[in-house]
Amino acid sequence: MASSAARTRPPAFRSVGRSILLTVPVAMWALLMFAPTFRAPGRNHHLGASAVIVFMTTLFFLMMRTGKTYRWRRYFFVALGFLFPVGFIASLVAVRGSMSIPIERMVSGDTPFCYMVIPLLIIPAALARTLIFPGSILPTASNPHSIAVMIGLWLAMTLVLGKAWCSYGCFFGGIEEGFAAASKHAKIRKLDARLRLVPWAILLFVVVLSAALFEPVYCMWLCPFKAVTEYPAVHSVETAIQMGIFIALFAALVIVLPFLTKKRTQCAYFCPFGAFQSLFNRINLFEIRFDRDKCVDCTLCQTACPTMALSVESIREGGTLLNCMKCGACVDSCKKGAAVWHLKGTKVALKPERARLLFLYGAWAMATLFGGSILASSIATVIGFLPLR
Amino acid sequence: MAVLPLSTSAVEALVLGLATGPVCLASCGPVVLPWMLVQPRGVRGHARQMSLFLAARLVGYLVFAAAIWFAGIALSRSWSGRSWLFGGVQVLLAAGLLIYAAGWPRARCSIARPRQELVQIGGASVDAARPRATGALVLGFLTGINLCPPFLVAGVQAAGLPSLAQALLFFAIFFAGTAVWFMPFVSLGVVRRTSSFITVARMAAALLACWYGFTGASLLIEKAIYG
Repeated sequence: MASSAARTRPPAFRSVGRSILLTVPVAMWALLMFAPTFRAPGRNHHLGASAVIVFMTTLFFLMMRTGKTYRWRRYFFVALGFLFPVGFIASLVAVRGSMSIPIERMVSGDTPFCYMVIPLLIIPAALARTLIFPGSILPTASNPHSIAVMIGLWLAMTLVLGKAWCSYGCFFGGIEEGFAAASKHAKIRKLDARLRLVPWAILLFVVVLSAALFEPVYCMWLCPFKAVTEYPAVHSVETAIQMGIFIALFAALVIVLPFLTKKRTQCAYFCPFGAFQSLFNRINLFEIRFDRDKCVDCTLCQTACPTMALSVESIREGGTLLNCMKCGACVDSCKKGAAVWHLKGTKVALKPERARLLFLYGAWAMATLFGGSILASSIATVIGFLPLR
Repeated sequence: MAVLPLSTSAVEALVLGLATGPVCLASCGPVVLPWMLVQPRGVRGHARQMSLFLAARLVGYLVFAAAIWFAGIALSRSWSGRSWLFGGVQVLLAAGLLIYAAGWPRARCSIARPRQELVQIGGASVDAARPRATGALVLGFLTGINLCPPFLVAGVQAAGLPSLAQALLFFAIFFAGTAVWFMPFVSLGVVRRTSSFITVARMAAALLACWYGFTGASLLIEKAIYG
């Protein structure tokens, strides 16, 4: 029985020794990132940081060992998606006593900045030199998540990795990826291809309306994740309607539809920030390409893609659509090795593993820096709730 | 309000228009942008449509100037009157945008219903359809009487002028100041139109129609209930 299993098991992509060697930089980076946490007192935070270092390093090792990206990245991403609200809500309740944000705290600039707002800031800032978000530009003691810090982090990561932000940095996408993974088979298989244009329309809608009203319309009316983060205190019919919209969108786009379709429906068919991020794929070095000599047009990759970033036409042309999040699902699913990681300016499929490695070092460094710190703090919060001595 | 010499009023109107133009632009942007993006490619066509839009907007301005001069400053300051007007205009704008979102008139517009396979951003251009003047005129007039903040400031100034002619002139010059800010929209004519592009513009128009419909209806219902 054991020998039969050994016979059927596919050969490892890389030896253990080489995999460890390639994982060393990631382990060093993780240790460096969490060094300040260990210098400060706080057992729960030490435990959280240690867990994240082990978790992120192990996942990277498995990526190296198996040659699969999507499969291991998903563990990190789903953990981030589900643990972020836990830590965030706990800190809100600890500081404010409630998830809702009162108007006086908005006025005093105490709202933590969310990157979803970035495209909405551009026109009002250009036309009227006004920031339409009630947060502080520089970090303060009560609000370290300031506008300048978040924009700086986002810009650096986006310029290097393009829309990979949506697969390695976004702390919202993991929730729906988790619900999509929970379903064994897709119950809804046929989706209108025009749906992938909706995020662009929502982007146009929220950008022009935010400029007209001088308020972040997406946060006020459309963000599904307000249901699990923070929201304006319900004190009128208008705020009650807003809350109803948040809950309905969250339930439909983040829970029900991902479960039924096995796709990241909110990311693929709704998120305006994702559409905005797509523009950066144009100027980004990393992409997925298809080796047409190997491709047999089986469309396994198209089925595997969680965001409908592949079409029959795009595969025939040897590439993805603009909204590719570089999650690696298509590469993992391709049985012919036709879907490959690619560095722009080089020949397709010449050294795809080298392109993958270069990309993954950047993406995993970002994931550890941004998502890892969120994970560590959320784990520390959870440990704080446990009845431990 | 002290009566100013005509030249002073004219300069004041122009400066007010130029200074508050960005706010006008932001205020009318949700209507103008999706509507312009639905138009076929070509700077000349865009310039023509924008001229019609601005001409209708000027008519809206002058109608408002005449009304405010006759009614006096009270109209500009009356919250109740403004709410009825604002709510009504919002609902009409919603209807106008919905018509564009639905791709009307289909008979003359070959890009009203994009085929499903042509959904790739950056795909092939689609055939141009000849636009109609009606949309530009209706949307221009409605945005012309839409009470944005700069418009109310100008209304307060115009209401205190000694003659109707001066009030009309004040608003015409104020309009000229704000109209300069709309010129960049003409440059949208150089952007290549694809089936996806048109679909996105129509979807955005539908969303904006929902928004205007919601805010307009809310205002009207609130006025009807609470007075």
